[in-house]
Amino acid sequence: MTDQVVVKNPQAQRRKKNLILGFNIFLFLLPALFLFISILIAPIVVSVYRSFQDWNGMSAGKWCEPNIFQNYIDMFTNSVTMNFVVALKNSLILAFFSVFVQLPLSLGLALVLGRKPKGERFFLTVFFMPVLISTVVIGQLWLKIYNPDYGLLNSFLKLINLDTWTHIWVSDPKTALGSIIVPTIWQYVGYHMLLMYAGVKGVSPDLREAAMLDGATPGQVDRYVVIPIIKPIIRVSVIFAVTGSLKAYDLVFILTGGGPQKLTEVPSTLLQQQLFLANKYGMGSAISVMLIILCFAFALLITAVFREKDN
Amino acid sequence: MNDKKIKAADFDTTYVPKKSNPVVKVIIMILLIIWAGINIFPIYFMFTFSLKSNEEIFGLNVAGLPRDWIWSNYSRAMGTGNMGLYFLNSIIVTGASILISLIAAMMATYAITRIKWRGNKLTNAFFMLGLTIPIQASIVPVYVVLSRLHWLNKYSTLIIPYSAFALAMAILICTGFMVEIPFDLDEAARIDGCGLWRTFFRIIIPLMKPAYATIGIYSFLQCWNEFMFANVFISDSKHRTMPVGIQQLSGSYTTDWGPIGAALVIATFPTLLIYVFLSRRIQESFIAGAVKG
Amino acid sequence: MKKRLVSVLVAAVMALSLAACGAEGGAATPAGGGDAAGGSGDAPAATADAGSGEAITLNMWCIATESDSNRHSYEAAIADMAKNHPEITLNWEAIENQAYKTKIKAAVAADEMPDIFFTWSCAFLGDFVKANKVYCLDDAYKAYASELPEVMMGNSTYDGKHYGVPLTMNIVGLFANMDLLKQVGYDEIPGSYDEFIKCCDALKAANIIPFGCAGKETWCVTEYLESVIEKSVGADALNDIFLGRATWNNPDVGAAVDEFQKLVNNGYFDPSGAGLTNDEVKANFMAGKYAFYMNGTWNCADFAADEAFYQKVKVSEFPVINADKAKLGQLIGGPSDTLAVAASSPNAARAADYTFELGKLICHYGYLDGCGLPAWTPYGDTSGINGLTQAVSEICAKADSYVLFGDTAMSAEDATTYLSYVDQVYGCQVNGTQFIEGLAKDIR
Repeated sequence: MTDQVVVKNPQAQRRKKNLILGFNIFLFLLPALFLFISILIAPIVVSVYRSFQDWNGMSAGKWCEPNIFQNYIDMFTNSVTMNFVVALKNSLILAFFSVFVQLPLSLGLALVLGRKPKGERFFLTVFFMPVLISTVVIGQLWLKIYNPDYGLLNSFLKLINLDTWTHIWVSDPKTALGSIIVPTIWQYVGYHMLLMYAGVKGVSPDLREAAMLDGATPGQVDRYVVIPIIKPIIRVSVIFAVTGSLKAYDLVFILTGGGPQKLTEVPSTLLQQQLFLANKYGMGSAISVMLIILCFAFALLITAVFREKDN
Repeated sequence: MNDKKIKAADFDTTYVPKKSNPVVKVIIMILLIIWAGINIFPIYFMFTFSLKSNEEIFGLNVAGLPRDWIWSNYSRAMGTGNMGLYFLNSIIVTGASILISLIAAMMATYAITRIKWRGNKLTNAFFMLGLTIPIQASIVPVYVVLSRLHWLNKYSTLIIPYSAFALAMAILICTGFMVEIPFDLDEAARIDGCGLWRTFFRIIIPLMKPAYATIGIYSFLQCWNEFMFANVFISDSKHRTMPVGIQQLSGSYTTDWGPIGAALVIATFPTLLIYVFLSRRIQESFIAGAVKG
Repeated sequence: MKKRLVSVLVAAVMALSLAACGAEGGAATPAGGGDAAGGSGDAPAATADAGSGEAITLNMWCIATESDSNRHSYEAAIADMAKNHPEITLNWEAIENQAYKTKIKAAVAADEMPDIFFTWSCAFLGDFVKANKVYCLDDAYKAYASELPEVMMGNSTYDGKHYGVPLTMNIVGLFANMDLLKQVGYDEIPGSYDEFIKCCDALKAANIIPFGCAGKETWCVTEYLESVIEKSVGADALNDIFLGRATWNNPDVGAAVDEFQKLVNNGYFDPSGAGLTNDEVKANFMAGKYAFYMNGTWNCADFAADEAFYQKVKVSEFPVINADKAKLGQLIGGPSDTLAVAASSPNAARAADYTFELGKLICHYGYLDGCGLPAWTPYGDTSGINGLTQAVSEICAKADSYVLFGDTAMSAEDATTYLSYVDQVYGCQVNGTQFIEGLAKDIR
């Protein structure tokens, strides 16, 4: 380690100083490193190791047979007991709706609020509210809305004589996934909106003024001045939305539990099921390793796409 | 988010667009009001059904104000549901996690941004991995380790993992704030004979005050809602946190919606009230995180 | 009359091959594993005996949550135990059924089990026994053998050693709302399958939903499906399949599954049921939404507790579909609710004695409450037991053989696979042939 500040001292003294400095750096990093390595890094290493094993969590694990990658192979081939492909597809659909419905909505709200309409504060406050509500509460609340017999949604449809539109929302194969997507998107619109609003507010008023003087409409100002400036924030939002969709668990677990007929499973519900219901810890570890790989892959991909656009 | 073009938000600008079509303005206002309605309505629905009997909820009066205000739903949620305790547990766990992640993040960020050494960029990148690692990935190994250490069913069983998972975001935000503190200050302190630690405590910690609220909010959002770890790691009801408590309660009152509604309200309204009163500060801190991160 | 009935019942049950499951567990357990489990049990016994009388604290996990019909029997039994054993403090936690399965397995994997834990017999407990995590109860059992028939221990016996204290036993019952049946001209639950189907058609024509079934909880579907299969292929054939002695690839089972799907496709099941939990479906049944509800006989207590509904409800067994292979008296069920002691418990020997006494009391109160039939020899005044539970006793007294619930009989991994297929059958994603072929392929 080099200490660029202290350069005039002789060699020995410098080495000693470096040692002390290094020790201090280590001390500063220690709490964070301890937390990070013990809770994140070490478990991942263990998961990778276990993912090549056939282990029931109780007795000693043995290496997978006949192929060491058997868990990973099963993941993509065993379709009745554990359909990882469907789970992955579901979370990608969720990611698609997050990126192409939720984020545009957030962006639109952020831009509109950035123009200082009447009640800006009020709207900002209200739009952020769902973010603060616990996901379990939101899940329970929406269960009551979706209830086939007494739910708000079906009652409302019957009231306006659209009886044929009523569904058993959370367990009709046609609507189950949709009934998860709607509250998920609804909850986090406010989160992304506030992130983007921060960016919108950061655009200097002079820049806006200049564009306005050139005859640009507010829409054009947003399109050609504001959006390019807040692009880094949009990128982060996209990464959060996609990785968040891959990690989705709470609402799926509460609303559908992966049903009907496993059509709405997501990787995390499969993970829980393999670990604790089927006692397949090896397979569970393989799923978690897969999740990490996917999250990283998408984060890199999104960064690359945004860089591409910049050029 | 690391864009130097963006300066801190300037809230006092009294800039108003000069040309704007009144029709568009009205349409926008209507859309905003509709979206606000969509956001408020579920909360309103939750509040009203928490005070109703099943007869009202199931037909007579689905979405209106309750006719008989059945406050006993609340005593049932508090009594058998134990929501008060779970709420307190959630506050303890979340509060401690925020504190620990904040301290660890401050120290680490100081080492990364304000001390010059060869590995600082790499260390930073290493911590940033945490932003994308899903919390589920470590549940089994962490469970096995914690249980071998006989460390289940304590507050710290949740606090340690929560702090670890809030850490990456905290470091990211801290970095944004810390690089804005002039480096001359460190230099001056060093000339005055302050070591690294004294500089950290005397200069950095006081100057980083604005960052605390921001980090607190982001960590809060991560810890407050967490369900998977809380469900698996805590088996006794003494340390159960609210999300698990609610899930449990709705299992035991499946067909009696009033007490479930009451529990949902108890779990939600304190946070919402605090938020409404402090909304300006909370939003500003959140925004600061977005800009600086 | 009642006393006689019970003794007939117990005699009948004893005559049956309830130990089948335990024998299978034994065969699958390597001899060394069994010995080790026994061995680990012997050591603490000596140390704990010396210390008995000392005040200790025991922890227990069970599934008797506030809404569970067994709640009262646990509370009453634990209160009695506190009186009888002031030196033992019991801390107990009740955890919701599905969450409990997760929790207990995680705890077993991590050696963090409570001293006493609730478990389902056969494979569920068997997995833990194989991993040497359960304390062997052979020594403690001797003192209770006169009150607890050996045959009732069968489902928790592995390699000839006893590992569980059974509480109550339950079967799958066909519950009927007689008010609704009367509306379509039936005064009794139809005894033959043809009549039964006619009754369902009549109900459907009268806009009454015949069956309520919680699609969100697959075990509720198995209550129907397993009965249909059993009454088509016979108890022995189904038992052999569940215990891995025969292949799933049995065309008769496939035909039975197709028969079940016909019931689904005929619209006998409540479509909203697919999105409901069992508690919600049960409440609907009690509210008069369905004519029939196939579920465990532990429901008798709740049905009897509701004055108005108790007048309307009757219980019976599912009619025979194929008389060549199956007959009345072939039932689904058996002693499954069990308490076991963790091998890791520091006071395992005393916990074992405590568990037997507690189990006896829970069984006693549970029987009085109508939560099921007793695994222990009943004592005291049992005349107050509700009529539904008595009707179940009569069905059991005539029983020919029992097949334990499929998801209890199979190991966790196989049960998960099995339940996935059942789910697919209910959703009509696979037909009978695909069901038997798939299971034959995926289970070993």
